[in-house]
Amino acid sequence: MLAFCRALTLGFAMLTCAAPALAQGTPIPHGTLELIAEKQWVSAGGAVDLGLRFQLDKGWHVYWINPGDSGEPPRVEWRLPSGLRVGAIEWPTPLRFQTSVSIVDYGYVDSVLLMVPLHVNADVEQAMAHIGAAVRLLICSHEMCVPGKAQLSLTLPIKSQAAAADAGTAGLFAATRKCLPQPWPAKWKFSALDAKDSFVLSANFQQIGRRIAQAIFFPLAESQIENAAPQELLPQADGFRLSLRKSDQLLRPLDRLQGVLVLSRDEAYSIDVPVSMPAAVRKQSR
Amino acid sequence: MQRSTIHPVVSSALVALLLCAAPALTAAAKVGEAAPDFTGTGSNGKSIRLSDYRGKYVVLEWHNNGCPFVRKQYNSGNMQRLQKQWTSRGVVWFTILSSAQGKQGYATASEENDFLMKEQAAPTAALLDPSGAIGHLYDAKTSPHMFVINPQGVVIYDGAIDDKPTTDVNDVPGAKNFVSLALEQAMAGKPVETAATRPYGCSVKYADSH
Repeated sequence: MLAFCRALTLGFAMLTCAAPALAQGTPIPHGTLELIAEKQWVSAGGAVDLGLRFQLDKGWHVYWINPGDSGEPPRVEWRLPSGLRVGAIEWPTPLRFQTSVSIVDYGYVDSVLLMVPLHVNADVEQAMAHIGAAVRLLICSHEMCVPGKAQLSLTLPIKSQAAAADAGTAGLFAATRKCLPQPWPAKWKFSALDAKDSFVLSANFQQIGRRIAQAIFFPLAESQIENAAPQELLPQADGFRLSLRKSDQLLRPLDRLQGVLVLSRDEAYSIDVPVSMPAAVRKQSR
Repeated sequence: MQRSTIHPVVSSALVALLLCAAPALTAAAKVGEAAPDFTGTGSNGKSIRLSDYRGKYVVLEWHNNGCPFVRKQYNSGNMQRLQKQWTSRGVVWFTILSSAQGKQGYATASEENDFLMKEQAAPTAALLDPSGAIGHLYDAKTSPHMFVINPQGVVIYDGAIDDKPTTDVNDVPGAKNFVSLALEQAMAGKPVETAATRPYGCSVKYADSH
């Protein structure tokens, strides 16, 4: 089922969303980039997923929305005809790069598809949508970083009927969706506590017997968690606690803990929970 | 030992990852705390000790000439301008090179002196730190990574040079420069509004990096 999510070893973490190589693409430093669509056209009043398909040379990586301690995520500026708009990039679960003892980054190797929903107003009259994407990116090896730019374009028909799948790209989009962080199972409960120098993320599976041997938390925002600090995992009878050292750049209390929790090659969950202060601190602040 | 239902290859990869991710993190410089003292060697051959500069504002600039984020600041002339502007107001400015030998950003003393001359850079001194000792002391993560230390020896800023975390030289003119702001605000006796940000740049090429 998760053929496109595979684990890597030795200093690189857990999940990657690689996909079979396609021939085309605009050259970028140490790779190619292309703009594709999941369907053959889009219907007026409908939506289709576009995708920025990166294929990277061996030894080079691009970055996640939170790049970690160094690097920079890809940035896209869209040129769209009127009546069309795009949503936010859907970021697949990243890899964790132990760049050095004190430097940890988050990103992708080999190839990755960054999906973006395209919405078309119902009253759009033109038959063709000429879509442009100006992408700025940073691609790095362990030795150096190279900035790159690509001007991409895609022409997509707009029709009244619902769009047919594009056989050439459908599999890639479907596989990438499986590499997106998922909502956690309904029975589970998560909570986060501010424990002075760290945050403690607690999971309760509401059942005894599910043992977690490993867990890694990827913070969605910068400057909240010390990326290179070990995340101490304390299994509990019905769940676990994960200790996340605060970043030195975090000078204010955090309202919510947001990120991706990876438990195994098959399990990456979107976490977005309020951060509560310990009871003693709450009493003092009254 | 707990049994895991995770595929064994992944399991060992995770273990390898977690072992790899267990650094002996030393006490890093923190905003509001005393700036760790250090002694380093400048490209001019002189020994430099931070605590000798107590009584002055000190800026630390982590540097790697090959990094596109650093090139953005130097190609635009921005870093040189900041160095001149602030050293002329009595601020001490140290450019620090923590790249290990053989890695991008490493320079010998004469190479660094050539660079300073060619770029018309004007730090008080460029410190050569190929062992990474000073870098690790401050937990310098990127180039550039900027610190501002007040005359009492307290860190008042730790992080990015400005608010445009890109490699685009066009982003320099409109950027909010956190170093200048920290110095202006502190010199005016005001609290530093933005005391810590994520430092953006290329990772520092420490001896242990891979």
